Amino acid sequence: MSEFLLLLNARIISFKSSVKSLNLIRILSFILVFGVFLGGAYYFFFRIFNYLLSVEIIGPVLMNKIIQMVFFIFFIMLLLSNIITSLSTFYNSRELQLLFALPIRPGAIYLAKLFENCVYASWATLIIILPLIFSYGITLRAPFQYYPLAIFSVIIYLIIPGTIATSLIFIIRCLLPKLRSRDVIFILFGLILGLTFFYIRINNPDLLKVFATENQRDLLMFAENLTTVGGIYLPSTWVGYILGTLSQGSARFHFYFLLLLSVTSTFVIIAFYLARFFYTRSWMLVGEYQSRMKKIHSVLYHYYGDAKTFLLKDILVFVREPIQWVQLGIFFILLIIYIFSLRRTPIYFTIPLWRTVVSFANFAYICFILATLGVRFIFPSISLEQYGIWLLRSSPISFARIIKIKYLFNLFVTIILIEGLLFFSNILIKTDPKFYIMLPIAAVLVAASLVSINLGWGAHYPQFNEDNPSRIAAGTGGIIAALVSIGYVGITIVILAIPAYNYLSNTYLKKPLSYPLIILSLAGFLLFNIFTIAGPLYLGIKSFQRRDI
Amino acid sequence: MNDSKRLIIKDLKKEFNGFWALKGLNLELSPGEIFVLLGPNGAGKTTTLKLITGLLHPTQGEIFIEGINIKESPIKAKSLIGYVPDEPFIYPKLTGREFINLVASIYRVKKADYEKRSKELFEKFDIGEWIDELSEGYSHGMKQRIIMCQLLLHNPVLILIDEPLVGLDPKTARTVRETFLSLKDQKKTLFISTHTLSFAREVATRLGIINHGELKFTGTLEELAEISGRKNIEEIYLKLTEE
Ligand SMILES: Nc1ncnc2c1ncn2[C@@H]1O[C@H](COP(=O)(O)OP(=O)(O)OP(=O)(O)O)[C@@H](O)[C@H]1O
Ligand SMILES: [Mg+2]
Repeated sequence: MSEFLLLLNARIISFKSSVKSLNLIRILSFILVFGVFLGGAYYFFFRIFNYLLSVEIIGPVLMNKIIQMVFFIFFIMLLLSNIITSLSTFYNSRELQLLFALPIRPGAIYLAKLFENCVYASWATLIIILPLIFSYGITLRAPFQYYPLAIFSVIIYLIIPGTIATSLIFIIRCLLPKLRSRDVIFILFGLILGLTFFYIRINNPDLLKVFATENQRDLLMFAENLTTVGGIYLPSTWVGYILGTLSQGSARFHFYFLLLLSVTSTFVIIAFYLARFFYTRSWMLVGEYQSRMKKIHSVLYHYYGDAKTFLLKDILVFVREPIQWVQLGIFFILLIIYIFSLRRTPIYFTIPLWRTVVSFANFAYICFILATLGVRFIFPSISLEQYGIWLLRSSPISFARIIKIKYLFNLFVTIILIEGLLFFSNILIKTDPKFYIMLPIAAVLVAASLVSINLGWGAHYPQFNEDNPSRIAAGTGGIIAALVSIGYVGITIVILAIPAYNYLSNTYLKKPLSYPLIILSLAGFLLFNIFTIAGPLYLGIKSFQRRDI
Repeated sequence: MNDSKRLIIKDLKKEFNGFWALKGLNLELSPGEIFVLLGPNGAGKTTTLKLITGLLHPTQGEIFIEGINIKESPIKAKSLIGYVPDEPFIYPKLTGREFINLVASIYRVKKADYEKRSKELFEKFDIGEWIDELSEGYSHGMKQRIIMCQLLLHNPVLILIDEPLVGLDPKTARTVRETFLSLKDQKKTLFISTHTLSFAREVATRLGIINHGELKFTGTLEELAEISGRKNIEEIYLKLTEE
């Protein structure tokens, strides 16, 4: 135990020194950006909960169900992200060579690393959960002790996926040490997604069905059903109950809280013993097998002698890093599922009015997805040059040119993605072409701005000593990039809502189109984007050129 | 301005958060010189080299390469430089060959030159089939050899090297030494920082002793021997850096 605390302390000291190096302006901008984001998310949940409370009979039930669903989805996501981060925390991190050489017991190394891994994999999630907890509590006028106890329960809850993910990895690495990281990820993802799918199939919590029915009796039946849907064995359900009972000040909270606490401890203990048995062994085995090398004959085997080479290098480095393309693959699969889910149209999609609304909501959603993708894949791209940046800085190529190459390439990919998504989703929604025409044009600007924000901020806030892109994206710089991108999308949606609303009231309420308003808002959008495209790139290049490296 | 000088450094100063790592360095190097900078840990050697290559920005002072002010036309100046940092980095997910191709492309080496020189260099530095394996599995010496190849491939006239011999086996170390001497004969200028005194004795045409951010002495080995009153290079070094 004391060894564990020692290792933990080393982490905290290095964290403290990185906080100390921040200046006042940075700290204030952190607080501002986080404040705005937390406030916005809080408001969003608050509105949803308030609305649900006002819906008779099923509203409150639905509210609890949504909480449980959200925690269930987070559970799966955290499981997946824990798997990816723990492969590098437990096997590829350079520090391990040192730790294993020191007279520290493997169990202590495991606990310290588990802690580190959970923090890395979960803290972004916690930022979304906090506003959720607060808005839920405030909507239901929960007693004061609700807040600390709810937050504490959620933190305990977040440890479970970490223990499961690491145990699975230790076992699989020990049994099959020859497996490459890529294949380990494949197998575990297949396993987890398969089980999830199976579980959902059995329990069939067909939440969306409610929107497809208007009959009062059906609604009642549905609400009845919801309360009895399985899942009583899932920790996510307990967390939902904990929040529910806490908010009513009910004593039944103790039962679920103790249940969660004991189950989490059991998981930690089991994982700890598995680690003692498997971790060191698998670490050594994997090291042995990975030192074998093989010859590679890629496109860059040949000499081209122009800037194309730099682009090829970026692509090769990307595809040779499993963390990168596995996560991109997951995003892709989720997007495909999303697009196809649009096909199963609930009834009011068939009304033209709703189609337009859905199409606009879909546009907003796609923009948010791209904002996330940008933070995960574009923001780290300067940091990932690592000390190669020495080479670039000392050679006759300007940083502006490097940024230009990266910018154009990322823009190209982003535009293809966003236009493809818009096109297919709108075909399925059957949007009116007159309305649709606005979206692809706006999307080009959105793509150009998002790439600029992430690349520019990535150049302003590079982190050359970290080689794991998901950690770079989950670090302070990445979180700020995410918040700024999301803020940008928010403003975009607000501006574009003006012409969209105008179009709607023209088509369905037969009000006249207000051309000055439409032109003004579109011109405003263009102006806004000139600023968001040029600004971040310019500032990023300037700040990078001034930097000592 | 003296155009026949390859490198001119005027009153170069560097401050890190109130700490002066370099306190006014003046130096001129001509073609065909091998200047070796000696000094204790933390004396300011790496800082000097990084300032010349543009990795760091000077707090004060000017640097000219072939008469070109590096602050005014950095790209033009940098195309004349070759730099090897103290901890050579190769992208771990690239092979040695891919890395060399990347660097040569950035320096716009012509294809014909590339083919001719790469063949010579691979032979000279005994590059094996491992050049087509991912560099994450290379030993320190293998990386150093790849770095030497990429350095010489773009044919720089001013070569800056921080600690060239760390991790090289005796045979490669000798190749490096011979390469440096032949570069001198081709009228290139080398600026080398090292702790290996025997190496300094064998290749240097001029030596500099730096301590606490100040260039205390410069001169040939004979001149330094006279100043210090010692004969052996180790004795000279210890005498001149003592304080
Ligand atoms: N980025 C930096 N920030 C703050 N101080 C620095 C930085 N870089 C170097 N220094 C300080 O400047 C001084 C000179 O460092 P430098 O790396 O030039 O020494 P050196 O002569 O190369 O030493 P060595 O022989 O150990 O390589 C040291 O005291 C070092 O701590
Ligand atoms: Mg040094």
